[in-house]
Amino acid sequence: MVQKKVCMLGASAVGKTSLVRRFVDRMFFSEIYKTTVGVSVDKKQIQVNGKDVTLVLWDIHGDDVYEKVRVSTFRGMSGYLLVADGTRRQTLEEALALSNRVTESMGKIPAVLVLNKCDLAEQWEIEASRETALATSGWSILHTSAKTGEAVEQAFMNLAQAMLAI
Amino acid sequence: MADPPIFESFLADQGYALFESLGEGAFRPVGHAPGWCEEMWGAGSGREKTVRLGEQSPFLENFLVDADSFWNSKRKAAVNSGVWVERDSSGREVPFEAWALRLEGKPILIVRNLSDTYAERQQLFQTARDALLEHERLIREVQKKEILLHCIIHDLSQPLNAMRGCFNILAMEKLPGEQQRMVETGQRESQRQEQMIRGILEAFSGDLAAQQAPASQAADVPDLAACAQRVVQEFAPAFADKNIRLQLDPSLDISRGWKVAGDASRLERIFGNLLENALRYSPKGAAVTVGIEDKVHCLLAFVDDEGPGLPKDATPDRLFALFSKGKDRPGKAGLGLYFCKITVERWGGSIGAENRPGGGSRFWFKIPRMMKTAADHGPEKHPSVETPKKNAEQELSVPPRSGKAAKRLRILVAEDVDVNRELVTELLQKRGHSVAAVADGRAALAALAKQTFDVVLMDEQMPGMDGLEATRAIRQMEASSGKHQVIIGLTGNVAEEDRKRRLEAGMDGAVPKPFDMQVLFHMIETLSLGASQIVPASAARGESGPSPVSTPSQESTAAHLQRTMGGNEKLIRSLVKSFLADAPKMLSGLRSAVGQKNATKLARAAHAFKGAAANFGASNTVAAARNLEAMGKGGNLSDAEKELRTLEEEFSRLKSELLALPSKKKQTVPTRRKK
Repeated sequence: MVQKKVCMLGASAVGKTSLVRRFVDRMFFSEIYKTTVGVSVDKKQIQVNGKDVTLVLWDIHGDDVYEKVRVSTFRGMSGYLLVADGTRRQTLEEALALSNRVTESMGKIPAVLVLNKCDLAEQWEIEASRETALATSGWSILHTSAKTGEAVEQAFMNLAQAMLAI
Repeated sequence: MADPPIFESFLADQGYALFESLGEGAFRPVGHAPGWCEEMWGAGSGREKTVRLGEQSPFLENFLVDADSFWNSKRKAAVNSGVWVERDSSGREVPFEAWALRLEGKPILIVRNLSDTYAERQQLFQTARDALLEHERLIREVQKKEILLHCIIHDLSQPLNAMRGCFNILAMEKLPGEQQRMVETGQRESQRQEQMIRGILEAFSGDLAAQQAPASQAADVPDLAACAQRVVQEFAPAFADKNIRLQLDPSLDISRGWKVAGDASRLERIFGNLLENALRYSPKGAAVTVGIEDKVHCLLAFVDDEGPGLPKDATPDRLFALFSKGKDRPGKAGLGLYFCKITVERWGGSIGAENRPGGGSRFWFKIPRMMKTAADHGPEKHPSVETPKKNAEQELSVPPRSGKAAKRLRILVAEDVDVNRELVTELLQKRGHSVAAVADGRAALAALAKQTFDVVLMDEQMPGMDGLEATRAIRQMEASSGKHQVIIGLTGNVAEEDRKRRLEAGMDGAVPKPFDMQVLFHMIETLSLGASQIVPASAARGESGPSPVSTPSQESTAAHLQRTMGGNEKLIRSLVKSFLADAPKMLSGLRSAVGQKNATKLARAAHAFKGAAANFGASNTVAAARNLEAMGKGGNLSDAEKELRTLEEEFSRLKSELLALPSKKKQTVPTRRKK
């Protein structure tokens, strides 16, 4: 069976763990933020184009002043979900900075940019023009909600397809 | 020495498992591996059993690459994996941490089960990250409020701009006495309102104020008694209307000199707020007294009333709190006393209120005093005293000017707001200048392409191409031609970062909106004069370089002043006096900037000096200041000390020339004798 390492990357409290839980367990546990310390490793078996694939999901702690993401965790990674909180504009910039670190260390690999918490539309801070610019520069972008499940499955499937296409 | 089995049991009990690396990804447990090793990775059933840990745990597989690298090196420090979490067969999350090290020369992997301590560690991170998120949220709130505040200030300034413009135009007409007096009142009150708007911006935007606190100008050191006197005069009619007697304390010696920290306009507003309070609570026939007492290191100002006194539950914290209003006869928004408190405290003072023994209340504030007179030594430094803001754009001394300009200038006005555009145009035309007006930056570029202008007045915020963008475009076009178009910003943004943005865009100066007619005229006429006469210092010193645009050496300072000031002796004397009084401070600022290698400060100080010296056609002085300004802007201060010496020498020559100018009584201009 094909096995692919996928990292969840982004700033603190953007919803990386909630996205994994929604994808793996089909559940949204709580709106109360519970921080991830270190790395949490999970597995999920899916079918992509009729082929069984095991995604090894590395849910990595938020990159912040208290814990910096180690470049060694990128080793063997086939693709990554870059997660930003759509209600906090600066988390997008922080996510893109992390993505630059990945590219410096591994070159270009498949990635999907996820703007999470799309259920909080009235608090949305990321301008459409910014998204357009990112899409033009090659980013595959999805608005997701770990709370409602919107586009979560699609985000992982899109990434899996991109990884298998290589 | 510990018995090995006991020691191994102890380690296992503490959650540690030790493995010896056998190479090729194989490991052998050292001693008795804890039960969780068997459950997680099938690695605890016997000492002779080997296990391929990397195949059991994706995280360990990744870490063992680093571990192998360490074991194959001569490095001594152990390699740590960081924390990771895996699920056991029941789906329970189990946290671990691992180390690769060498013990007795053997490659050893230690894995620790963190189940006992992980919750505590996670709680610490949780607390820290919650605090970080809260901080982030507060910062965003503050940013939103600052933006809102700036929008409000901008919106309030716009109609005021029109009002002041109308009053200014009316003031230029020859109106009958009473009407002239009413116009003057309108001018004064609109100016006061402008100061209040700016006061709000400064008082409620602490970060901005902190950035905008250059050295206080000696001339600005306020006299507390003079402030009190002005406010008492201003409030007298309102008190009389309610049949309340308002007086200055008869024992107060106004002439003594009561210099304090702060600035006059805000001190007057503090007195005003306290008097409004007294007016609100004083009964008919009562008296309100404003006085000042000398408390050696500070001055105590008070407002005594004969009202009902303070409520029993009134503590200073409550009285001076934000949005605090009286119960019986509330004031307006509850901001007045709060403003007094934050302003006084920012100057290093304090404020309070108490009941007077004979009835009524006393509201007081203490302000650090300035021990030396400003003229002698400049303002005394006080660590906690806020020095009032004045940026380079406003530092140009403004001589009183009225009537027609000495020289007719061609001026392009780019301003999107119709009423502002019309007002500026009319003011400038009445001044004798030729004016063309456009509504945005792009139209300004088009006008400049067709016609030559001495000065461009550029509104900063315009639809389409704004003033800063247009200025950048003009400066870019000038790069090849070597010309320099004088561009003056019209702006409602007076914060330091706004000033920097204008400087970076290439504006030569700015007039804050709502603009003062005198400031506007002075800025336009001074900068246009300076720009047309500025020559590189190298050229002035006879070195190679482009030829000067004009030939200042052919014209004495006296002749220059006569020509440019239209022979207005009073104006010339005022200008000279003002310049000679300010120049030492400006030079001191330049020296300080060079000493501190502060490029921004140098650019600003040199820009101000250049503008001031340009009034006298002092081309060499202007050129040296201009060079210093360029060094500051470019951030290259390697030759700054040398250029500063040149400037000081040139200023010394200029000063001699200015001091040698004929005084009022010794007129050199021949006067016609009566026959």
